[in-house]
Amino acid sequence: MYKHILAGAGDINWMAIFALLTFFWLFVVSAITVFRRSKSFIDHMAHLPLDEE
Amino acid sequence: MARIEQFSYDNEIVKKFTYACMFWGVVGMSVGLLAALQLVFPAFNFNTAEVSFGRIRPLHTNAVIFAFVGNGIFMGVYYSLQRLLKARMYSDKLSRFHFWGWQGIILAAALTLPLGLTSSHEYAELEWPIDIAIAVVWIAFGINMFGTILKRREQHLYVAIWFYIATWVTVTLLHVGNNIVIPVSLWKSYPVFAGVQDALVQWWYGHNAVAFFLTTPYLGLMYYFLPKAANRPVYSYKLSIIHFWALIFIYIWAGPHHLLYTSLPDWAQSLGVAFSLMLIAPSWGGMLNGLLTLRGAWDRVRTDPILKFMVVAITAYGMATLEGPMLSIKSVNAISHYTDWTVGHVHVGTLGWNGMLTFGVVYWLLPRIFDTKLHSVKLANVHFWIATLGTLFYTIPLYWAGWTQSLMWKEFLPEGMLKYGNFLETVTQILPMYALRAFGGAIYVFGVFVMVYNLWKTVKSGQLIANEPASAPAMVVTGAHKGEHWHRWIERRPVQMLVGSLIVVLIGGMVEIFPMFMVEDNVPKIASVQPYTPLELEGRDLYIREGCVGCHSQMIRPFRSETERYGEYSKSGEFIYDRPFLWGSKRTGPDLHRVGKKYPNSWHYNHMIDPTSTSPGSIMPPYSWLADNELDTSLTKKKIEVLLMLGTPYGEGYEDKAVADLEAQARQVAAELKKEGIEEEGLETKEIIAIIAYLQRLGTDIQPKKVQVGN
Repeated sequence: MYKHILAGAGDINWMAIFALLTFFWLFVVSAITVFRRSKSFIDHMAHLPLDEE
Repeated sequence: MARIEQFSYDNEIVKKFTYACMFWGVVGMSVGLLAALQLVFPAFNFNTAEVSFGRIRPLHTNAVIFAFVGNGIFMGVYYSLQRLLKARMYSDKLSRFHFWGWQGIILAAALTLPLGLTSSHEYAELEWPIDIAIAVVWIAFGINMFGTILKRREQHLYVAIWFYIATWVTVTLLHVGNNIVIPVSLWKSYPVFAGVQDALVQWWYGHNAVAFFLTTPYLGLMYYFLPKAANRPVYSYKLSIIHFWALIFIYIWAGPHHLLYTSLPDWAQSLGVAFSLMLIAPSWGGMLNGLLTLRGAWDRVRTDPILKFMVVAITAYGMATLEGPMLSIKSVNAISHYTDWTVGHVHVGTLGWNGMLTFGVVYWLLPRIFDTKLHSVKLANVHFWIATLGTLFYTIPLYWAGWTQSLMWKEFLPEGMLKYGNFLETVTQILPMYALRAFGGAIYVFGVFVMVYNLWKTVKSGQLIANEPASAPAMVVTGAHKGEHWHRWIERRPVQMLVGSLIVVLIGGMVEIFPMFMVEDNVPKIASVQPYTPLELEGRDLYIREGCVGCHSQMIRPFRSETERYGEYSKSGEFIYDRPFLWGSKRTGPDLHRVGKKYPNSWHYNHMIDPTSTSPGSIMPPYSWLADNELDTSLTKKKIEVLLMLGTPYGEGYEDKAVADLEAQARQVAAELKKEGIEEEGLETKEIIAIIAYLQRLGTDIQPKKVQVGN
């Protein structure tokens, strides 16, 4: 069973790797930027649906 | 200091979409109830083509997805978008065009689907003229939505709006991708893709119809209407940003989980499994964000039916988005695929998440736009319990049925034969569960009637505020701030948000679909596989018309229980001329991929006219009209021309010989029927000859290694 998996180990489509890397960086960057935001900005955004006259 | 501007919100359009949502909800769910009853009492097919199960099922799915949920989406978007952006819709004319255009499309579906005018692609059955209409109306919606965003007074785009943008972008992409066809006539077309490639494009579309029509817009609605109903902000705005990007990226890849253990290449199946499992994280991000918004306010859920609906809806979403990934694991899928477990899973999501969130939103917004109170909070609470009970009675029997049937399919005697060699025995065992499911559906529909009554009384007691006055300062466009983070930047730039979402959703599609077309050996050729003869082709198109693919699969998986029952497992090379593919998603009846030459022509004749004559206790509808209808060969020549253009090797000029060949083969089949004792005259020009010819061809092109075949 493992032989079957390991035999195909090097055989990865370049597009799949490109997509994985893109997503990984997108995710990391968005997580970092989100956590660096100020509390007041976050509170402002969260209250947008409630801010009606 | 920006000056305060006076304007008004358009509630008239919200009212229209709300009424349409309720109306089509009643219609679509009633059709679903009819379909459920047909499985228990086949008499409900009325031996009439237009209401037979195969034609009714896609009418139900299209009605509840595009008419009920579709109008529900627009109702919620038109209400929330205006208020989040503090701007009236860009164009009242486009709003009306969108509304009437969408209802026109629904009517076209309601007419064409029972007539059997279908492409057979699930949730994309509508033929090409209606597809064009959908594109026009959808673009009008997009212009209206984007125009409103561009003229907004609130600079920052709340998370709900990104979900709406991602929805619009991706649905456009999916609609175009899955409807690339060559027309044969006004109401018939062939897809450009065939076999395995067609299957992958269909389920890339199909799963993302779930993702971007049933999920992302409703998450957008949740992010607006739950805070409104609970009067508190969403639990974690940061979480909503992260799970948004993760969700729209990962979802696209999940399509192949509909094709596990089929002849789709292994690498594509593995991608589908891996990404479907990863999808738990962003989906549950959304669920947790919703539920935790109510932390500290749970006592209000006890008295407020709107919050009850929303809480159960979000919980159902969480359940369905755990169950889905579980079902995408190959070993689980080996048990669940083609069974009622899948149907149960679908309805947790649709009845629980889509249905109940719609009800919650409508109960909240309709009294407000009519400047009144809900007629009866008590009745709304009653509806909540009815809907919950209905959902449970629907789904739990189907879990039972799915497991029971699957285990029966797989059971072997110690001697090595199948214990339940007769497929029908596995159906009759689960009929009580089908009855319970119909009961559950009936309860749910009854609940909707209770709601309609309550809303009607509410509307009568109020007055529509067609144009709700509002005021807000004009938008001050601030330039880029020094050191501003990229997401803050993009939230002020909706166009870049749209382009960004498009790129993100394109990636998954390209990686999975591209190699299927460019890499030749993803679909190995088999020398003995030949195109269908003209008669068989017409028979195939009748199979499509009658919706046989709704109950019968044509994909034998590489399991011993399947090869014993049906014959050699299905190879991808066998489907290269199948336009469209007909692998199917459900086995209410047995798989047909190797039914060719298994039974004599007369068996098929009798079985079509009255299935119970060959199979006592069968729930299959009768198809007696096939023996009465003349086979229409007026399009045969054109069909061959189109298929030649798409690469089917018929030989140059074959379109001129096609009808003659068809008639010769038809006479042969009719002569065999006569020899086998079928005495009706003039059968060689009837539709049933074509269907018999097609069925007798299925799976006979390859030489099976084993000749053992179940009953």
